[in-house]
Amino acid sequence: MSDLQKADAAQSKNPGMLKAVLRNPLMGVLAVLIVIFVASSILSPYFLTPYNMSVVGRGLAFVALVTIGQASLMLLGELDLSLGTIGGLCGIVTGMLMVNAGMNPWLSCLLALCLGAALGFINGFLTTALRLHSLVLTIGTAGIYGGAILVLTRGVAITGIPPEIQFLGRGTVWGIPMPFVIMLVMLLCAVFLTLKTPFGRYMYAIGNNRDAARMLGIRVDRIRVLVFVLAGALSALAGVLLVARLGTAQPSIGNSWVLGPIAAAVIGGVATTGGVGTILGAICGAAIIGIIENIIVLFGVSPYWQGIVSGAIVVIAISFDAISRRWLRKES
Amino acid sequence: MAFLEARGLGRDFPGVTALDDVDIDVDLGRTHALVGENGAGKSTFVKLVTGTDRPTRGTIRIDGKDVAEHPEQFGLIAYVPQELSLFPHMTVTENLLMPFEKSGHRGLVRRKAMEIEAQGYLDRFGIEAAPSDLVRNISVPDQQLLQIARASTNTGMKVLILDEPTSSLTPIEVERVFRVIRDFHDRGVGVVFISHKMDEVFDIGHDYTVLRNGQKVEAGKLATTSEDNLIRAMSGEKLELGSAFRPTTARADAPALLTVERLSGERFENVSFNLHAGEILGFAGLVGSGRSEIMQTIFGYRKARGGRVTMDGAPWELGSTSASVGRGMLYLSEERKHHGIFPQLSLRENIGLSILDLTNSPLGIRARKENEAVDRIIDEYEIRTDSREKKISLLSGGNQQKAIIGRAMATDPRILIFDEPTKGIDVRTKAQIYAIMQSLAERGVGIILVSSEMDELRKCANRIITMHFGRMTGEFDTETTDNETLVGAIFSREAANV
Repeated sequence: MSDLQKADAAQSKNPGMLKAVLRNPLMGVLAVLIVIFVASSILSPYFLTPYNMSVVGRGLAFVALVTIGQASLMLLGELDLSLGTIGGLCGIVTGMLMVNAGMNPWLSCLLALCLGAALGFINGFLTTALRLHSLVLTIGTAGIYGGAILVLTRGVAITGIPPEIQFLGRGTVWGIPMPFVIMLVMLLCAVFLTLKTPFGRYMYAIGNNRDAARMLGIRVDRIRVLVFVLAGALSALAGVLLVARLGTAQPSIGNSWVLGPIAAAVIGGVATTGGVGTILGAICGAAIIGIIENIIVLFGVSPYWQGIVSGAIVVIAISFDAISRRWLRKES
Repeated sequence: MAFLEARGLGRDFPGVTALDDVDIDVDLGRTHALVGENGAGKSTFVKLVTGTDRPTRGTIRIDGKDVAEHPEQFGLIAYVPQELSLFPHMTVTENLLMPFEKSGHRGLVRRKAMEIEAQGYLDRFGIEAAPSDLVRNISVPDQQLLQIARASTNTGMKVLILDEPTSSLTPIEVERVFRVIRDFHDRGVGVVFISHKMDEVFDIGHDYTVLRNGQKVEAGKLATTSEDNLIRAMSGEKLELGSAFRPTTARADAPALLTVERLSGERFENVSFNLHAGEILGFAGLVGSGRSEIMQTIFGYRKARGGRVTMDGAPWELGSTSASVGRGMLYLSEERKHHGIFPQLSLRENIGLSILDLTNSPLGIRARKENEAVDRIIDEYEIRTDSREKKISLLSGGNQQKAIIGRAMATDPRILIFDEPTKGIDVRTKAQIYAIMQSLAERGVGIILVSSEMDELRKCANRIITMHFGRMTGEFDTETTDNETLVGAIFSREAANV
């Protein structure tokens, strides 16, 4: 190789920053998010008000916590349909421990997180040990965990959550809702874990090709179980924070945390087949859905129509992303 | 005038000319061998003449008609890809006759009638499976032939393109494919035969075209050229493939690095052997003789039924790939796609997986360290790519293989198991891989080489163990054994001098 060729090769090994940024699949979702945000600000005078922002942020926080877990599982090629009922059950249990058993609120929150981790472990352990598809298994466990909520509550909310933990749901830090701050911390941890640690690399490897990962000596099943545990704990955290926010433990907590996070992750570029996408993208997806749902309310769309409208916009967002990605690929 | 006629054919991709000014004529009733290294432009050519891609320059005429105006002419060309593309959980019949509208079975699925028709094809192509068998249960050569049979259910077919139809077959099975090809000659079908196996090219072919870097460098009649000449044309240089790559460091009297005693498992029984540091130990046998299963069992990917393995005299934990890797054993699978690469990840991420100890820090994986280490491997193993960030699935097979080997090397292994390392890989890259194996062994690594190419084993291995249907039939010193003895041991049920 001549020196000139070498220099050429070295340059092409380090493609320009701009190109790298443009090629990053995250850009598609980010662009959609910004467009929707700007459009909402222009279209509705109420959108960018501090009050509305804190409503959107707080609402997003709970779903986003579950989305972090679900997207991590999707990177592995798994899906957990019981994350919603895990969040709900853990919220109920923390409420019962505090109110009915009079336990220290902090301790009961901690126990609820452990319960979430344990329920996640059950999902992961059964999936790996029985070699089931997690989607199928968690249809079953979602039924069990959801049934447990009804057995425990008989459908009645638990009221009288001690005020000392309510700031977890209602408080603010520099004007930012507390749940949103907690979600951001978790998001940072998850981004670091998935992109900067060997554990994260192994997650992508397993999602891409489980057999090849085993051939490389990666402890595939251990990592899969661990991610189920983390996802379970994150859902429990969402459940506990929502209980703190509402001041009551409602049996309906978590009902909307099943399909929303999956849709958010897909909008954000996470493939349901595994190995592709980022957690940050998934959270952008969740934010897109959150803003759309908010703007529909601000526009005064009839509640009966809200489902249809928000669903249609989700479909449009997904197709926009798919089309832009195909276009980018053609360009490169 | 030839039936299929390409003139001045060219195809540009951003930054590369994949095919440049290529003329090729394919006549009916003959076999035209298309040879060249990986990335020489063979696949691009196939895509153009089958109509899956459009040329940037040049014309294609099929039966005298320019396809630019008569795209229906592409219907006269059938293509059988190298990778099996069958539906494993459906029956032989369904695989043969789908889509049903095309094979004349309109309306509801009538199984009996279809199976009768399918049987005709099975007889003609010498496929030993029954029409109602599930494809995943039939043998690899039967699957290969079924793919060819499926292509020819297209009754209008005049030219059949076969892309490395023999890469996973043993000599006897190859003969079955050749019988089918000769039958096509008699029926007036033109065959384009793409292969890296020179002996097969000369066996079945009439005409040839050599591509190199997208250009036609030579063409003519095979009868008037030689294997050496073709290899020289493909690589552009004289290759010393005839020379031996046997490590000089093999010491049979040295203490064994790995000892396998009476190991049994899925599809093999009672296997015992020693591996020494500094040698290449070959495993010969037919496809399905249990060689890969043995290696995967030792490596911990499959369960053992019985037996004992020790490394440096200490017991070896069976059943855990991570324990095996931890003790310095690596297995490079024959199935690159299924067991080797992470298709959606970049070359950097694929290689980076095995050097995380080196690149990781309390602040996470250091991008610069990783980039440098990956670039070193790209250079050292001559992986051809325009960027380390390129998706690995976009690289050619040979470059993927070099990346996998480079990744394995980065872990400083003590035992390396190569399972068919040169399957579907061009001659020049083959020589590179042989040289890599040799130099590793001479640095003290113990290497096991599983191969179906006797030539490859003879060139590389110090000792060769022969397998027949899951049992060892012999162990030979390559230096003092002739080919016939080895081939005999592969085909005989009787244990020779074990």
